[in-house]
Amino acid sequence: MKLKTLAKVGSVTLVTALGLAACGSSNSSSESGSTKTLNWQESANLPTLDPSKATDHVSAETLNNSNEGLLMVGSDNKLEPGVAKSYSVSKDGKTYTFNLRKSKWSDGSEVTAKDFVYGIQRTANPKTASQYSYLLDHVKNYEAISKNKMPVSSLGVKAEGNYKLVVTLSKPQSYFKYIVAMNPLFPQSEKAVKKYGSAYGTKSADQVYNGPYKVTGWTGTNDKWTLTRNKEYYNNSKTKVDKINFIVSKDAGTTLNQYQAGKLDVATLTGKQQVNNFKNSPELHKLPQASTFYLEMNQKKDPVLKNVNIRKAISLAIDRKSLTNDVLGDGSIPAKGFVPTKLASHDGKDFADAAEDSNETTNDVSYNLAEAKKYWAKGLKEVGKKSVSWTLLADDTPNGTKSTEAIQSNLTKLPGLKITNQNLPFKTRLANSQSGKFDLVVSAWIGDYPDPVTFMQLMESNNAYNNGHWSNAKYDELMTAAEGKDANNVNKRWNDMVSAEKVLMDDAGVVPLYQSVTPQVRKDKVKGLQYSNTGASYNFRDLYLK
Amino acid sequence: MVKYLSKRVFYLVLTLFIVTTITFFMMKLMPGTPLTNQEKLSPSEIHTIYQQYGLDKPVWQQYLNYLGGAVTGNFGTSFQFSDQPVSYLIFSRIGASLQLGIQAMIIGVLAGIVVGAIGAIKRNTWVDTTTTIISILGVSVPSFVLAVLLQNWFGLQLRWFPIAEWGGINYTVLPTLALAALPFAETARFMRTEMIDVLNSDYIELAKAKGLHQTGIIYHHALRNSLIPIITIVGPLAVNIMTGSMVVENIFSIPGIGEQFVKSILTNDYPTIMGLTIMYSFMLCVVLLLTDIVYGIIDPRIRITGKKD
Repeated sequence: MKLKTLAKVGSVTLVTALGLAACGSSNSSSESGSTKTLNWQESANLPTLDPSKATDHVSAETLNNSNEGLLMVGSDNKLEPGVAKSYSVSKDGKTYTFNLRKSKWSDGSEVTAKDFVYGIQRTANPKTASQYSYLLDHVKNYEAISKNKMPVSSLGVKAEGNYKLVVTLSKPQSYFKYIVAMNPLFPQSEKAVKKYGSAYGTKSADQVYNGPYKVTGWTGTNDKWTLTRNKEYYNNSKTKVDKINFIVSKDAGTTLNQYQAGKLDVATLTGKQQVNNFKNSPELHKLPQASTFYLEMNQKKDPVLKNVNIRKAISLAIDRKSLTNDVLGDGSIPAKGFVPTKLASHDGKDFADAAEDSNETTNDVSYNLAEAKKYWAKGLKEVGKKSVSWTLLADDTPNGTKSTEAIQSNLTKLPGLKITNQNLPFKTRLANSQSGKFDLVVSAWIGDYPDPVTFMQLMESNNAYNNGHWSNAKYDELMTAAEGKDANNVNKRWNDMVSAEKVLMDDAGVVPLYQSVTPQVRKDKVKGLQYSNTGASYNFRDLYLK
Repeated sequence: MVKYLSKRVFYLVLTLFIVTTITFFMMKLMPGTPLTNQEKLSPSEIHTIYQQYGLDKPVWQQYLNYLGGAVTGNFGTSFQFSDQPVSYLIFSRIGASLQLGIQAMIIGVLAGIVVGAIGAIKRNTWVDTTTTIISILGVSVPSFVLAVLLQNWFGLQLRWFPIAEWGGINYTVLPTLALAALPFAETARFMRTEMIDVLNSDYIELAKAKGLHQTGIIYHHALRNSLIPIITIVGPLAVNIMTGSMVVENIFSIPGIGEQFVKSILTNDYPTIMGLTIMYSFMLCVVLLLTDIVYGIIDPRIRITGKKD
């Protein structure tokens, strides 16, 4: 062995590495020449650019700006016209007619109503195995198609000429207008699907785009991709930022370092400490999510939980303010009810406010240990027990672990109650929730669209996600009315759901804990970012750099 | 040699087969589904989607299908990266991991040899104490702690190197150093012990008695003979780097394969779990085989024959 040679090679490698590094410290500037560029952090990889298959927030954010549906959701869930200039709904609420504008795909071909028919049919087709096709459950014949009992061509979505799309529903759905803004209902070019075959949407080059940006530089598995101005977009003259670089940065510490070093213009913070560092900074934006974290109580496993006083005691014993402010500290806010705030409003009133019990003493979502102990004693007497011991199941995420510790210390203040915590990885936790292997579980739900029903339907007696098996005839009746006879009457439907939420809270069917918030930091120059708490969250169409 | 090699290759294939089988059935015991929107799908919807992926079939049938595909080079498509072939996922992301791993091994082992040798030659002086302390630190400080410290000092504060991401060679310096710490420290410790042994042996005494120059003795006799046992620890160290890279890649936002392994397990991405398990087992087997072969070449006392393994 020639040791000298080896040693030389080694030292050469070292020196080269250091030498090259020293001269390679280039600074990425956000404005190179006249190109306006924004660097945007993502915490996860982009899984797909196939609108029928995308279910995660990264694909949704990318697709929402590279493609465009019939309508769009802007700031605060406000609906805006998309490819459809206008739309009308029939009196019975079952027929939606969309009038499309003339627009083009990034390859120069026309976007027509046929592309919408094709795209929506593709999502409904069981062969596509879309995990979001349930959004079409009100569309005529969807149920039969999903069970392979009818051909996909029978779906209630038809093109009348090139610029008119008619959607027929099986029953009225007042919030269908929000659903058409979501990526599973985006137009898709049949030509492109046929051309790219199984590669369709698996690389940025294997897709066509009809939105303000085209996706470039995505190899299908890499950690960086770019939204580049789409010159064929009908509103291209309004696009002010030429390039948006999506950069995957998963580690919280690294993300903050990159933001502080100016490599990222927009980033999401993680945890109490990071949020506290930006407490007084104008760069911090706490974006409320349409999500509720709540306790489900398994009545099937432990009949003690069937007792309403026991459930009320649990709810009243939990100090939500301390949980969100002291324990989580990431901007999360105490839940007012099951439906989160800022999800939906009617006549200027937020749903969560409308359904909230303003009377402090009867409000079951407030913190009142003395009252909790009374209910607890009463409940125990009714079920004939002196002590109970339960397992509290939750995710093994930092927030999941912190929550269980806080809830455990809250609940053990009830005499005779013993709580054992169990924190499991998400998929395992979910499987245990669904198969009923828990006494209490911290569940989370994120709304799909800005309508209370995206939450309310979960607690119906026969719903597959009602893991605690809470059942209430009054609640079911109100929800059946909201989805049935009152479905086409906005006022009645709203009141049905408000009453249903009150029933749910009065009966402590679930124990709402908190609503999560995305703590986002944004450099001052970033303006015009539209955020909505459901669907794709971010819309870059009004974005500009100061 | 040929007989020996063919025997080892046979064992390699057998090992891979056993690993594949055990992993496949254990993986199917994990609760949950590989679906990305599982929390919002009802059991009947899940069943419909399962039919499309053949996941509704009995496990043994899925296993046979998988084996059949794997033999012909079809490792299925990923769930996390929707419809992306697993082989493409691995090949497109393994480059960065390999580059970091190889750089870290070269730098770590070479630096370890030099520092260990110096420690042995100057044993019981302050030089020796210093190198010992450095190598103890290298072994005991986990790579991810070192990674965060390096990132903070040389990335954020001094701005000598990029904080994270993947670009030119300057992007590899900090992660390489973080990964090189362990092989460096292990090699240095091992080298020092071996070298002290050798320096005390009779033939070194003889060389000294013959009046050979000190540097000559160290270069020609001591160093070479101390290196032989180092080969044995290189294999396990390479394996350590593979697992260490999972965390380090995450911290430096490296588009590597390490983190995908963890994520595929957490998301029940069956085809990716299988593909990566096979790949890691294969790499491990090859590293061990190479170690054995190199060992035989360097040290003639170790015989490679087909008879005794």
